[in-house]
Amino acid sequence: MNENIIVELASKNNPLVLDCGKSLGPFKTAYTTYGTLNSDKSNAILVCHALTGDQYVASEHPITKKNGWWSLLIGSGKSIDTDKYFIICPNVIGGCMGSTGPNEVNPETGKEYGLSFPVITISDMVKAQKLLIDNLNITKLFSVVGGSMGGMLVLEWLSQFPDHIFSAIPIATTTSHSAQNIALNELARQAIMADPEWKSGNYNEFNTKPIKGLSVARMAAHISYLSEQSLHEKFGRNLQNKSKIEFSFDADFQVESYLRHQGFKFVDRFDANSYLYITRAMDYFDLGADHGGSLIKAFKDTKSHILCASFSSDWLYPTAENKLIVKTFNALSLNVSFVEIITDKGHDSFLLDEPEFFSTVEEFLDATYKKL
Amino acid sequence: MSLFNTNKDFDIIAKLIPSKSSVIDVGCGDGSLLHFLENKKQIHGRGLEIDQDKIRECLSKGISVIQGDADKDLSDYPDNSFDFSILTYTLQATKKPKEVLEELVRISNKAIISFPNFGYWKIRLHLMLNGTMPVSDQLSYSWYETPNLHFCTIYDFIDLCNTIDIKIEKKANLKNHLIENFKNKSWIDNFFAEDGIFLISKK
Repeated sequence: MNENIIVELASKNNPLVLDCGKSLGPFKTAYTTYGTLNSDKSNAILVCHALTGDQYVASEHPITKKNGWWSLLIGSGKSIDTDKYFIICPNVIGGCMGSTGPNEVNPETGKEYGLSFPVITISDMVKAQKLLIDNLNITKLFSVVGGSMGGMLVLEWLSQFPDHIFSAIPIATTTSHSAQNIALNELARQAIMADPEWKSGNYNEFNTKPIKGLSVARMAAHISYLSEQSLHEKFGRNLQNKSKIEFSFDADFQVESYLRHQGFKFVDRFDANSYLYITRAMDYFDLGADHGGSLIKAFKDTKSHILCASFSSDWLYPTAENKLIVKTFNALSLNVSFVEIITDKGHDSFLLDEPEFFSTVEEFLDATYKKL
Repeated sequence: MSLFNTNKDFDIIAKLIPSKSSVIDVGCGDGSLLHFLENKKQIHGRGLEIDQDKIRECLSKGISVIQGDADKDLSDYPDNSFDFSILTYTLQATKKPKEVLEELVRISNKAIISFPNFGYWKIRLHLMLNGTMPVSDQLSYSWYETPNLHFCTIYDFIDLCNTIDIKIEKKANLKNHLIENFKNKSWIDNFFAEDGIFLISKK
């Protein structure tokens, strides 16, 4: 494994031109790698993280000290085997773990970007990732894998760089954010911006942080990652360290205490402005609209082997939305496979211990690797 | 969804399909038939299967497979998506056999359908002598637990095709491995054939 690497990409004269019309260059990308790139550079897998993920996909997180967010799936002898494949996982631009984002210093002004950071899109993130892959001298990735927002990045890769990926695994994702998705993100953003400590995005200048706003944002989002059944089974109406309700607004119920804990531990590792920027990128994502209203056009040059997967209790990016992706690939006669994993754990399932999901990914990658 | 776990019809299906055709196997099970056809006829195969364990077996063979149901998910495919569709020993387990047949000839130029013939003399004899629903090696389920919903005879199948603008092009015989152009209903087939295997297309 290579510890966190930070590389400078693009340049002032040759910047990354963003969808909003502004440019970034040079910009930084922080990434980790696992395993060894083979001599013909054919075993590279790009892993795309979700909204609050980062580059620590299969190694200890420097702040939380927890295992990597996909360490159940990726590692030596695991379904995505680092003894066989070379894994690259970058932090997206707009992120807050070392890649250029709102909490990094703008080289032109010497000051932190804050809200002067340009509004970025999923397509911009993928263009930045492509520059990283070019920088690593890899012409064709064996696969691109990601769930949730990571899945959107995978779809964008399939659309933008069809000649540079041999296979792809978009998981629990969508080709465009629904009104409900946007509404949930707006709730999160408003929670952050309503915190007086947000200070119009300039909180670092004032040496403060919108901790309360960001943790409420996380609480709301966290509910959307779980299913009604999993919440019920985990907590029911159980009380938190007490035998009866106390007629107060303290955390009487276990579920309240759990959510507060999720919120407060999140603020240690995530930046509030990054949360605004990345949720915005997700809301703007609409692959069909980007191609004259036609998903068929979006993927017209795609040739990759594709595995799509959804989870039965996921209401954030439900099976029906994933099947729309499959339908599009079918219409294009692509080599597409699809599986719906039956689970009651909601959207979060893709990060949890789901043996059927893991073995599906493993079988697909192993058989596809033989086709190289 | 292949309910008979048999590969006895693989060779004759291979004879019906020209090399390098695009093929969808509806209810493809563990992908054995597609795998066989990929090796023997270099087809471009796709599978549709409902059972997750079998889907993983397909994936391990390198076969593209979509989790889905013949009754619901064929509508996701555009017209003429494939040269051939195959439905082996699954028709009788669909909820709406007529609609499934119509969908198959819509999404592919030709379709190969195989099914257990309920007009087969041994089945008739079993029902006549025992007065109970036939259970045999091939029809291995008791009536109360069978996934088979719509058994038919070869006559029934031909009658249905005639009423829904489906042309029967060829019939295949499993016993002598003969493939013949289909002309008329034959009581001999309906009585002596254990299975019906037909190549059909849209009229």
